[in-house]
Amino acid sequence: MPSVGGLARIYPPKSRASFRSRSFATSYARRSANPCADHVRSLNDSTNALVSFSTEDNPNPHGLLSSLTVAIKDNICTTALPTTCSSGMLHNFTSPFDATAVELLKAGGANIVGKANCDEFGMGSLNVNSVHGPVVNPYRTLNEELIPWAERERRSAGGSSGGSAAAVAAGMCDAALGTDTGGSVRLPASYCSITGLKPSYGLISRWGVVSFADSLDCVGVLAKSVDTVKTVFDSISSYDPKDPTAATPRIRGKAQASVEALVSALDANTSKPDLSALRIGIPQEYFPSELDITIVTAVRKVLERLMSLGAQLIPVSLPSTPYALSAYYVITSAEASSNLARYDGVQYGTRSPTLPGTDKSKPSNVYAHTRSAGFGVEVQKRILLGTYALTADAFDNYFLQAQRVRQLIKSDFDSAFRVPNAQLSSSPQNADGVDILLHPSAIRTAPPLDSDATSGLDPYLQDVMTVPASLAGLPALSVPAGSAADGWPVGISIVGQWGSDELVLRIGEIIQRTADTDDSYIIGLSTSFAPKRNRVVIYAGNMWYYTDMHENNVRMDVRYDM
Amino acid sequence: MFIRRCPWRSVQLHQLWRPRQIHTREPIHDKRWPGWEVVVGIEVHAQIKSRRKLFSESFTSRPGEVPNTTVSPYDAAFPGTLPTLNPKCVELAVRTALALNSEVQFRSAFDRKHYFYSDLPAGYQITQRYSPLANGGYLKLSKGNIAVGITQIQLEQDTAKSTFNGLRHTSLIDLNRAGSGLMEIVSEPDMRSPEEVADYVRTLQAVLRAVGSSDGNMEQGSFRCDVNVSVNRHGEPHGTRCEIKNLNSVRFMMVAITSEVFRHIELLESGCLVPQETRGFDEDKAETFKLRSKEDSPDYRYMPDPNLPSLLISEEYIEVIRKTMPELPDATRARLLNLGLSERDADVLMTVDSGREVGFDGELGNGAVAYFDALAQHRDPKLVVNWMTHELLGQLTARKETFSDNPVSVAQLGELMDLVQDGKITGTSGKSLLKHIITNQSSAAPSVLAQEFSLEAVSGNDTATLQTWCAEAIEALPEEAEAVRRGNPRVLNKLVGKVMQLSRGRADAQNARVVLSDILRR
Repeated sequence: MPSVGGLARIYPPKSRASFRSRSFATSYARRSANPCADHVRSLNDSTNALVSFSTEDNPNPHGLLSSLTVAIKDNICTTALPTTCSSGMLHNFTSPFDATAVELLKAGGANIVGKANCDEFGMGSLNVNSVHGPVVNPYRTLNEELIPWAERERRSAGGSSGGSAAAVAAGMCDAALGTDTGGSVRLPASYCSITGLKPSYGLISRWGVVSFADSLDCVGVLAKSVDTVKTVFDSISSYDPKDPTAATPRIRGKAQASVEALVSALDANTSKPDLSALRIGIPQEYFPSELDITIVTAVRKVLERLMSLGAQLIPVSLPSTPYALSAYYVITSAEASSNLARYDGVQYGTRSPTLPGTDKSKPSNVYAHTRSAGFGVEVQKRILLGTYALTADAFDNYFLQAQRVRQLIKSDFDSAFRVPNAQLSSSPQNADGVDILLHPSAIRTAPPLDSDATSGLDPYLQDVMTVPASLAGLPALSVPAGSAADGWPVGISIVGQWGSDELVLRIGEIIQRTADTDDSYIIGLSTSFAPKRNRVVIYAGNMWYYTDMHENNVRMDVRYDM
Repeated sequence: MFIRRCPWRSVQLHQLWRPRQIHTREPIHDKRWPGWEVVVGIEVHAQIKSRRKLFSESFTSRPGEVPNTTVSPYDAAFPGTLPTLNPKCVELAVRTALALNSEVQFRSAFDRKHYFYSDLPAGYQITQRYSPLANGGYLKLSKGNIAVGITQIQLEQDTAKSTFNGLRHTSLIDLNRAGSGLMEIVSEPDMRSPEEVADYVRTLQAVLRAVGSSDGNMEQGSFRCDVNVSVNRHGEPHGTRCEIKNLNSVRFMMVAITSEVFRHIELLESGCLVPQETRGFDEDKAETFKLRSKEDSPDYRYMPDPNLPSLLISEEYIEVIRKTMPELPDATRARLLNLGLSERDADVLMTVDSGREVGFDGELGNGAVAYFDALAQHRDPKLVVNWMTHELLGQLTARKETFSDNPVSVAQLGELMDLVQDGKITGTSGKSLLKHIITNQSSAAPSVLAQEFSLEAVSGNDTATLQTWCAEAIEALPEEAEAVRRGNPRVLNKLVGKVMQLSRGRADAQNARVVLSDILRR
């Protein structure tokens, strides 16, 4: 157990004046190339964020990244440390090769501190489906100031990259690699009050990333500051011929060129940047009935601040959004059932001896025992669901239907954005479109561990805000946006057109940089247009927006042209 | 994102087996089964002769390779590995499609076929179920002017090999073959007898070898056939088919089809229906046996592969391959006949040629036809084929060697022929030199060897030497000389032979005959 004294150093006295200091951003970060391993281990006792620790010396201590300590999610292959995917199936598995992303980090001189806990094979939203046990969110609310850190309320760190997020948030490393299939980087980033980027699909090589659902899996980056996220992202985002879904240099260039002018017009280095060139879309479908109202309040503050800097807020509709979650679970389960078929205990991984009397003449009988013993409950559930979705009788109604929904979701996004999707050969510019979309990262704050919210259908709902961008392969960044009524962190997500990761990061930087100075004044906020109770009205650009709050139902909509 | 626009349909097996009216043929009356029509279609799995596997960097293996030595983490389905399509495999499959008059699709896609088996490490096989590489086409059989329709050609992965050790009750798995490229070539049900099926298989093998896409070796497992057989009474629609799997020689295939035909007829004549089944073949009993019924057929849960983007093939690419295509057997034969070769000589050359080693990645091996072509560049084709078939192949055969063992280079044989043709050495000397080169695997130039062994022909002007040899011959064979003098010209050959012996082949036989006659008539 870490001493209270030690903790005081890690978690400095909280101050209401600065939101950032509450997020531990400046506390324990001596930027040492050789972080005190004992210290990291002691922090780990109370978070369970890392599952193995690096003992290797940095082979390239003078690289560009040599000042950074990085944790790697345990479903990304490393030769120096085991890659368990938090599964009993790969309990003792060490990969014969490094993932491309890890190779690039090493080449850049980054110090790998260890492997991060996660949901088994990335399946989960709360990092509770792990053979290593759940990850405990390192966050401590203001109300808990007098309680020792180690005795803080036990809440989920989010998932599936919960270990990566918790390790960063607790100061065990500067950055971490996670993977994001439906929100697995953004959700834990939001719950732990850090920054998490899910890049555009195909930008970071998936070679060495253990597949959950290939068509959605992305390597993501988590860190406290957008700046660090960008540094790590820039060093691992490059074309890799070993990944057949990697975006080619040509298409990367095309996408980058389409937002270049806007990115350079937005200066993140001042406290009052001019955002008049920026059109921000607010997707009305991202305020579902399940959304915690106080999260809306926190998100609205960010929106107001951006408006005050000149950004235009435009309500947009992405009508296929309500079907996204179902489509997501059909597609990912189907792909997972296929991808996880390889874990049979023959070539590698755990192998359970068959029960006496088993008919060994059928290989499936031999596999069944290993697979029943090796996979956790959640993984088994999804394999069964996916297997069903692919059977001849269900294929049309489930898998194909879900693919159609996915297509609709992509076209929803494409018609919302101003710049065309670089992956499509010809699509017109959309002058009325927006540059980015902003919405809450999650419908709630981190749920307490051992509560009802970590079982049943609730964990699936956690992903409702994040899966559409995953289905469409779009870049999405979650940055801290204050806290909700319960005192726990809220995240806001910035979603951009495919390949506009630089723009998304720039907006993230602006939100982060202006966060400290925001509490003062909001231009354009008016309550005069509020004929109804529970109605908040915002004036932005030449539009009035109102948000109605009926019990738990919050919607943002445009109503009045001026 | 590489999401395809949902082109997948639930293709049922019967859709892949669609009897098409355009393929109905005149009824064939077979004495073995009067009144019945036999309908056969084949699925061929031909291993692509590429240096590397379909989706990984590891080398393809040869038969007899040490087990589990040509295996990459991808082949063993290690977590975190991803496929990378080998363009050479695509090229060879496109060559095959063009050779079979099949329409190469500008867009094809890869699907996963799932089943659990120890020879399938990933738990799925990547294939092209919904959008194959090529559709349609035909293959002309060698006899009877029959064109067998091709339904489709698709790329897919081969499985590993599992061997069951009965004594130790264990399965041994060799991953060398896992992930090698296969072409699945599906024919229409256009064949009407076991003999036509055999013709189809042999013709297809020759085509694949000619374009270098596969060595088509059934015995070594690089060419595997699943045969669909049905019977019906003449004039009635096709019967229910049964699939016979894993036939590994043409002979067994014919036996299997014949026995299956009789089994169907027996069932139908006794008033039963033929149940749709997958069957195996017992080589010892020469009959088929049930593997599984249609109801037991597994659900392979086909799914578009989420890692592999659609395979886009441009018109230009197809044209480049079409232009650089190796010659097809039909065209080669026609060309050889055009050069003035007899049917028999052309057949000999092509038969020898088909036994050549097929090179990796479409490299054309040096077969008999290429050898012939090089020699016939500036020479009389008929003379070349005579030297090749009579002398070269004759001597190799006598040594129980094949053309692939031939140590004589094109340059050597060419020079040898030219020396004889120019009268610099005699034909007899030429043959001896050829024998010397083959026996000693010599790489020396024939002109050098001729000098070394003093085999240069005695020139027509050097009559003195010839006179001497002739005189010596007459002296050595006085009785024969006397017989010639008495007017028996046939004995003259013996004297000519003696002259050749004395000259060690250097004398010109015709000249010797003239000189001998002259002396003896005096």
